[in-house]
Amino acid sequence: MPEPVLELREVEIRYGRLPAVRNLSLTLERGEIVGLIGPNGAGKSTTLHAVMGLVPLHSGTMALRGAPLRGRPEDRARSGIGLVPEGRHIFASLTVEENLRLGLSARRSADGTAADREWVTSLFPVIGEFAHRVAGTLSGGQQQQLAIARALIARPEVLLLDEPSLGLAPIVVETLFQTLATIREGGVSILLVEQRGALTVGFADRTHVLANAELRLTLGPGDAGDTQHLTEQLTAAYLS
Amino acid sequence: MTFLQSLIDGIGLGAVYAVVAVGIGLVFGVMRLVNFAYGELITAGGYTLALLSGAPAIVAIIVCFAVVVTLALIQERIAFRPLRGASPATMLIATFAVSFLLQNVYLLIFGSRGSTVGTLGQLNEAIAIGSLRIRYITIVAAVVGAALLAGLTFVLNRTMIGLQLRAAAADLRTARTLGVRADRVITAAFAISGVLAAAVAILLTVQSPLVTPDYGVSVTIFALVGVVVGGLDRLVTAALGGFAIGFANAFVGDLLPSSGSAYLPSVVYGLVILILVVRPSGLFASRRATAAERV
Amino acid sequence: MRSRVDSLVALAAPLLLVVVVAVVGSQLNPVRQLEFGSALVSVAIVVAIYIFVGNSGVLSFGHISFVAVGAYLSGILTLEAEQKNLILPTMFGVLRHSQTSTPVSLLLAAAAGALFALLAGGPLMRLSGLPAGIATFAVLGITTNIISYWDKIGPGVTALALVPTNGIWVFMVGALIAIAIAFAYQISPFGRKLRATREDPLAAQASGIHVHRQRLYAFVLSGALAGFAGGLLIHQLGSITPDQASVELTFTTLAMLVVGGASSLFGAVLGALLISGLNSFLADAEQGVNIGFQLTLPTGTRLVTIGAVMALVLILRPSGLTGGREVRLPRRRA
Repeated sequence: MPEPVLELREVEIRYGRLPAVRNLSLTLERGEIVGLIGPNGAGKSTTLHAVMGLVPLHSGTMALRGAPLRGRPEDRARSGIGLVPEGRHIFASLTVEENLRLGLSARRSADGTAADREWVTSLFPVIGEFAHRVAGTLSGGQQQQLAIARALIARPEVLLLDEPSLGLAPIVVETLFQTLATIREGGVSILLVEQRGALTVGFADRTHVLANAELRLTLGPGDAGDTQHLTEQLTAAYLS
Repeated sequence: MTFLQSLIDGIGLGAVYAVVAVGIGLVFGVMRLVNFAYGELITAGGYTLALLSGAPAIVAIIVCFAVVVTLALIQERIAFRPLRGASPATMLIATFAVSFLLQNVYLLIFGSRGSTVGTLGQLNEAIAIGSLRIRYITIVAAVVGAALLAGLTFVLNRTMIGLQLRAAAADLRTARTLGVRADRVITAAFAISGVLAAAVAILLTVQSPLVTPDYGVSVTIFALVGVVVGGLDRLVTAALGGFAIGFANAFVGDLLPSSGSAYLPSVVYGLVILILVVRPSGLFASRRATAAERV
Repeated sequence: MRSRVDSLVALAAPLLLVVVVAVVGSQLNPVRQLEFGSALVSVAIVVAIYIFVGNSGVLSFGHISFVAVGAYLSGILTLEAEQKNLILPTMFGVLRHSQTSTPVSLLLAAAAGALFALLAGGPLMRLSGLPAGIATFAVLGITTNIISYWDKIGPGVTALALVPTNGIWVFMVGALIAIAIAFAYQISPFGRKLRATREDPLAAQASGIHVHRQRLYAFVLSGALAGFAGGLLIHQLGSITPDQASVELTFTTLAMLVVGGASSLFGAVLGALLISGLNSFLADAEQGVNIGFQLTLPTGTRLVTIGAVMALVLILRPSGLTGGREVRLPRRRA
């Protein structure tokens, strides 16, 4: 059995003395989409930030293809982790093209840049269309696409997505999730933090439910069939 | 001394101050650090030129650039890098300490009497147009200042490191998650600010050749006023602000009676306070508190 | 109960330290006595700065302005009137004709410091962080500039000299007063509120604390003490020039505060004494000193060393030697 692309083992993260995440273990295989859902403050975003190196681990280990994950955020970006942060954080005063070009900072070599650029542009045609617009003038959905494109152009092995559907219309969300499926087919593994529980459970290969800094429950796409049962399960987990 | 003459002198000095303002603003942009010790870079350039007064001008100039850029990088590496992410108060005290430290190092090495720069002194000669006297250095300062700012604009807009600098200034944290290396970007900002300081040293020593340990202090403080007027994290307005203050300085200095010019510093400082109080958040608002986070 | 003991110890420790320094100093030769006296004056100045900077967390480069005003006022007031007519003929009549005792001049220096701080602080206290640093530096620049050139308020760039000096006990009492006032302030409701704004301005504001007003109170009290300490300074030095109460003094006193630990009173006192000691030793060494062998350091070594010490502490131990904590009795573990 091949090594998982990303593996978190017994991870604990603290803010001061308060644990934000406790005893969290999870794995992400190549091309997998793993969901992470839970109420606000459950520790979902914190987990992504820890993988990116934005917050330190208190204990536990994280590994990328078996090698321990260390260093500053820029080092992790360069070793194959891409983050699409909550709220997108595109550079509003730079052009779309410049935002995209910044994504290239994480590449170790220029080989294959043209092909990846083409791939990204085919996933998000809007990027090519508005290349020379100032990014701040794009709509919310377009900005979200730009943020994903910017992370993808470095060809990360792992894509960390923090609530990509936030503030988007349902129809836009549907398109977005379809695109995520295409991205996974390109060999990228996705760790997807979401508020939309049912949608994520039905979409991801596995979905972990976090509440109160701990993992409560792991669900598969099959669990999404019985909506009422799923809601009951999630409610119980959220409140536990 | 005519109005037109003052205008011309003002342009020459304004160009120099604009360059200083941009040097300070650039580092502030990526690091949220106002480098009080910027003036000591200029002073270092001045002493280098003074020591090399006998050498060919081109040699003196090249060595001046090398020394000043190296010192800028040393400042960053030794003093400011360990303090990244510290509170603004700590950083401010630190740059103040570095400034004072360097001034006393100069005092230790060169004494308080000052060293005279002879390089490029011939640029002080003037061409006369009617009753106007235009010194060559005025023209050189204006041209060099404009060229430096144009060059910087090119670097910022057309190169990868320039793009990374702009991104880091807007949101360092996000830039880092994209693989932009904070160390490299900040080093680049300091190196560029060093290049600008070296150029300023060359232009300034032609006009006032006596270099003392506190040589760079007043120009830095005046330029800082310009930066404050223009807004710290917008380089174009910082440059304009710097130009305005340099221009005003020469202009007012020319027109004011000597009894009044003694209080020029008070007027300038008063202006700083006024601007800070009237628009504190407008100018200094850290649009991203995240930029100050641990790097 | 426990907290009362704690607070007594926290007050007693710096007071005791100051008394010990004064007693030791009084036993030494006159030159050493001067150095110890100077250290005690530094304690008063640093404690004055601490009241504002330590409790508010806002940096001020401007406090030496208040020290300068206090020093000039107190110095001029204690000169004899005839003398002043002779050496300072351009000065305002009221300053020329008045003469007071040293204690009265110190009180007036405190009043002047408070008034200046009130005028400057009104607008400046709205600022914090970087703008506060730059604006307070500008206040210092203006003060130095005006004292240097305005001959109606003093001798200008030349030294204000021939001011009567005092012995070490006066400076000890001065330092003790400064510490006691700083302590009383910091355990008062005002001090507690201001410290709350230092920890979390937004939360403090949300719980009804008027940040601007609390900062202003501290700034004015701190200005008063700085003026008072300036008065001590001139009666310790006997003469002063505008440069002596300007950037360099700002630098050394901030170094003292940073090295000791800016957020505790004990840190302020300890830092002032340690850096004063270092300062005196290096100043001697610049003149040549015998420490088993003859040591002569080049001029400028003193400030370079202090700058280096300060930078090192900032980098290695940003909260200072005391870690920003007051002295406490060792606790038994429950």
